Amino acid sequence: MTAAEIFDRGYRRFDGERAGVGKAVRSVAWHTICSILGLGRKGRHKVFPIIVAVVAFLPSIGFLALSVLIGDLMEGELQPEYWELFGLPIVAVMLFATLVAPEAIVRDRRDGMLRLYLSTPLTAPTYLAAKFVAVMTSMAIVVAGPALLYLVANTIQGLGPNGFANWLEVAAKLLLSSGIIVGFFAAVSLGAASVTDRRAFASVAVLATLFGVSIVVNISVDSIGASRTLLVLDPLSVPLETAARIFGDNSDGFTDFDTGEVVPTGLVYGGTALWIAAGFGVLADRYRRIGAV
Amino acid sequence: MFFVTVISAAGLTMQFGSQRALDSLNLEVPKGVTGLVGANGAGKTTLMSIALGLRPATSGTITVLGLDPTKDAAQLRSVVGYGPERNVLPEDMPASDFVKHLAEVRGMPKSEARGRASDALWLVGLGEERFRALGTMSTGQRQRVKLAQAIAADPSLVLLDEPTDGLDPVQRDEMLALIRQISADYGIDVLLSSHLLEEVERICDNIVALDAGRLVAQGPLASLVGDTTTITAELVEIVDRPGAIDAVEERLREAGLDVRRDLNQLRVTAADQQTSLDAIRDAVAAEQARLRRVVVDRTTLEDLFTEAPA
Repeated sequence: MTAAEIFDRGYRRFDGERAGVGKAVRSVAWHTICSILGLGRKGRHKVFPIIVAVVAFLPSIGFLALSVLIGDLMEGELQPEYWELFGLPIVAVMLFATLVAPEAIVRDRRDGMLRLYLSTPLTAPTYLAAKFVAVMTSMAIVVAGPALLYLVANTIQGLGPNGFANWLEVAAKLLLSSGIIVGFFAAVSLGAASVTDRRAFASVAVLATLFGVSIVVNISVDSIGASRTLLVLDPLSVPLETAARIFGDNSDGFTDFDTGEVVPTGLVYGGTALWIAAGFGVLADRYRRIGAV
Repeated sequence: MFFVTVISAAGLTMQFGSQRALDSLNLEVPKGVTGLVGANGAGKTTLMSIALGLRPATSGTITVLGLDPTKDAAQLRSVVGYGPERNVLPEDMPASDFVKHLAEVRGMPKSEARGRASDALWLVGLGEERFRALGTMSTGQRQRVKLAQAIAADPSLVLLDEPTDGLDPVQRDEMLALIRQISADYGIDVLLSSHLLEEVERICDNIVALDAGRLVAQGPLASLVGDTTTITAELVEIVDRPGAIDAVEERLREAGLDVRRDLNQLRVTAADQQTSLDAIRDAVAAEQARLRRVVVDRTTLEDLFTEAPA
């Protein structure tokens, strides 16, 4: 005779402890990361994240291949500065900010999830915080990933920073630079995308913000003769310049070769902070207007 | 938590620019299934938004499950389920993932959320369909999914905004039976908004009726509509008895009945149907008036609106 067992599969009351807002934020952030990266979705949703990752990791993998093949020749002139490694990842993250990141917020407004989320313990600020964390985390994979990969591989090859203290300093600067770059593009992307409920229009809004302002700034500096300081408002160059300044360096674009003057580091940081604040400002204002804040 | 009154509001007012969406509402929503009825634009969704803490009232106070929706929003919303009116859901998400995700956001542990999502979907009759993408589901199925996500996190109270919107009569009956079931079997209180009075009459214990932001009626359904009948007596003008209808009306009033005159029709609202019919018969006979027809109707929710002062 076998022991009988009844499994009650029916709906029942819950006596356990409920998690708080922190768990709700983590849940929404993770759900958004999966959505952005196409995890658990059809194959077509995975194509673009893969392309962005390939573009981002290409230079680091290329340099690593060269260092393995030609070894000591890579030391010196051929070896790029660490901040220069952010060049191509920034292009990748721009593509990401334009074509993928807007999905994080636009989709919720379009398919009614925003109202449902706001009927849970989430509030508009905590909802936006979850979305920002999700976008930053997704972007960090393509910004911090290649740089850290290069640092670790270089170290294994014996081409890394001298001593543990120097290694930690470089790693910290890489992480700080990555954090600022992804914070910059996440804020700009979400801020610009918040003006519309349509994903295509959101991409156009991000693109127009990034390239429109950049074109105006560069025409002002190069053709009209405005001060080179204005470049701190160029959203396409100021993130990389910020990384360069963190490493105590500067790029050619921010140097006036006639006078030898370099745009002050404080202004570069200020320009970056201004863009991040503007992105958040537009985002908060937009969600207040639609009655969610 | 145990509350006799689930929602309590005093002087609740909501102003959108020059438009007053809610006008000094004083209401008490008891336990059970309560119907929030009114035409489109009556203020039902606005009241639900305020009850959920999604927007603050312009003035007045409201408590839901003893909590202030503006100050205790997170705590309140972890024990309140909500089914929105809008019938748009994420197209490519399976129903089970959708319900599980919202249960997690409402505070369920991950492992518990998966099981509860499955149970809730079985309860609403979508057990076999739970892995289907929401975009491939019919309107009726999507309404059930909205109900499942509202109850999956074991709420004490569920706010359902027009849950039968877009359903055919059979689907509507099934949905109403489900709503009745979650209250009767699991003790979950329900505030159900609808502009269809007939369906509210069928399943609700209590009624809150709004019209243009004002409270028209509230209370147990039985006391508002169940015990009273309306008797319409249509009389014929007779040349040689010119004041007969007036005299009948006067006699009925003297008998203590609530009488309203509409040309040759006398409408009597009566708690005791037989006594009122007898009184009409006696008055007509005494005044030698001529009766064309007598129609007896039970008072319905619709009468609450037609009789409400403008």
